[in-house]
Amino acid sequence: MSGLTAVLVNSLLAAGLYATMAYGLAVIYGVMRIINLAHAGLLMLGAYVTLTLFERFHVDPFASLVAVVPLFFAFGVLLDQVFVRRLPRSGSGPSMESLLLLFGLWLVLQNLAYAVWSGDTQSILTGYTMKSVSLAGVRVGVPNLLVFGASLVSVVILEIVLTRTDLGRAMRAVTQNRDAALVSGVNAERISSVAFGIGTAFAGAAGSMLATLYAFTPDFGRSFLLKAFCIIVLAGMESVAGVAAGAFVLALLENAVSAYTPVPTSFQDAVSFTLLVVALVAFPQGLPGAAARLLRRARAAG
Amino acid sequence: MRGLPRLARILAAGAAALVLLSLAPRFLERGALNDIWNLAFAVVLASSWNLLGGFAGQVSIGYSAFLGIGAYTTALLALAGWEPYLTLPVGAALAAAFSVAVGLPAFRLRGPYFTIATIGVSEAVRVFAAGVQFTGGSSGLRMPAGSFDFGTNYLAMTALAVFVVGLSAWIKGSAFGLALAAIRQDIDAAEAVGVPATRYKLAAHALSAALVAAAGSLFAINFQYIAPGSVFDFRLSLSIVLMPIVGGVGTVAGPVLGAALWSTLQIKMLSIPALRDSYLFLYGGLLIVVMLFEPKGLVGLVKRLVRAAGAGRPREARRAA
Repeated sequence: MSGLTAVLVNSLLAAGLYATMAYGLAVIYGVMRIINLAHAGLLMLGAYVTLTLFERFHVDPFASLVAVVPLFFAFGVLLDQVFVRRLPRSGSGPSMESLLLLFGLWLVLQNLAYAVWSGDTQSILTGYTMKSVSLAGVRVGVPNLLVFGASLVSVVILEIVLTRTDLGRAMRAVTQNRDAALVSGVNAERISSVAFGIGTAFAGAAGSMLATLYAFTPDFGRSFLLKAFCIIVLAGMESVAGVAAGAFVLALLENAVSAYTPVPTSFQDAVSFTLLVVALVAFPQGLPGAAARLLRRARAAG
Repeated sequence: MRGLPRLARILAAGAAALVLLSLAPRFLERGALNDIWNLAFAVVLASSWNLLGGFAGQVSIGYSAFLGIGAYTTALLALAGWEPYLTLPVGAALAAAFSVAVGLPAFRLRGPYFTIATIGVSEAVRVFAAGVQFTGGSSGLRMPAGSFDFGTNYLAMTALAVFVVGLSAWIKGSAFGLALAAIRQDIDAAEAVGVPATRYKLAAHALSAALVAAAGSLFAINFQYIAPGSVFDFRLSLSIVLMPIVGGVGTVAGPVLGAALWSTLQIKMLSIPALRDSYLFLYGGLLIVVMLFEPKGLVGLVKRLVRAAGAGRPREARRAA
């Protein structure tokens, strides 16, 4: 019984971070119909920026979010203006050109990290890294708890921006129907830049938080990128709650596999990759197809 | 009737290339032959990938899985007492079978979704190879002593490269190649006119997987030592995608040009210590530049230059006169 509680608590905590990672991808995908392969590189960069702030200026990793989020937002807007915008827009689905361009960007970021921070494994050790508290009878690490809290805050802020502000309404309008949004006077180019900025800011924030939990190298981020994909494929990107649910399903599956099956922890990543492929195959049209099918079914039922 | 002269041309060019390459060891030093081996290896990878990624437009970033299957099959069977070169067909068959097993679910996905699934599959394969016992785990496998013979390996690799390029030249103009082009341009339209898209994609995938696995086998024999970090490396998958894209995706010459550029850069950069660690920058930069300015790669660039030269010639001729 306590085993089950432990699995649930750990899954919930992991889901917060997973959701933060997945939002970055989902926002960009929704508005721009682009799969941001550079997400992994941005996660990694977030971790290294946090490390530098921590080592040079003794900034607490969670306090550094205050700097990392606006910095990465600006970086994302810049990336959009310099690279992504220049690609020809494809009609409905994401284009191969954007995927490969962002893939190239990821590699450049990786190389940058090798050049600046070397290939050595890094980690951030704070006073509370090894501390843990008891929660519902389960020992959980203090960093995990803080990460969950920070994720929750960032997700709530995003939800408020998306639903309560004109900017958020414009973003959702472009997500739902770009042409109709253009006709009604939404500046889709500007919205795209903002979306890429928000996505990048989320990646940076997730990277900062990952850095408090895991050791990292410039190669870091690939498996988390795949997890984030897995979540948005599972959950669709229509709602914040959907992404959160997808994140929880993935975390639950990973924790359950490592708790109840003899599958060694070194294979844990394979769980999400397998789930990714299964989820992709179950929704062969990708997100829009799955979302459209759900909408149709909902309409038929209502 | 029209296919016959084309086939004859391809065979003649292939035979000429083979003769030249097999005579090379008489005139060239070992270092130069090594460079040719590297080039041939790159050509096999790039041109094989191009069969699916270029002709059929299905971009996979997971080809190191096939290379690894070939290399591990060869190493494991050689350690069990097999003659190394006899293991090539076994590795190729295993890779083809694996490509079908992966392709059956993955080919239900389109475009970028397929690409992402391939990253997932190749990561899973790498994690698996590093985690299980019979592959020697992350410390890898060493080939049995006495299995090394550069001369034979050189001939095998160059012959394989010539074969793959000839094969892709032949496929490009064949009914199969035209069907793959139709799948790339509009898969729904292709299926509507009766192209069995999934079966053809599986066939192209299996063929390219088998060829890449054969190159992997020769890689294992040549380097005598393999590990998940060397043959299942994500960077390898990356190079395999990069070469045809930089050269000119979907053409016969493109992957060869891309492979030539890549192997030259690789050799040049390995000899300069300061640049040894910037290949990711180079790969990434190339991808960005190609995507932004010339998505058709070097082949597209050459065509554009030829056209520009053709258009500009009268004026230049006048100026010269």
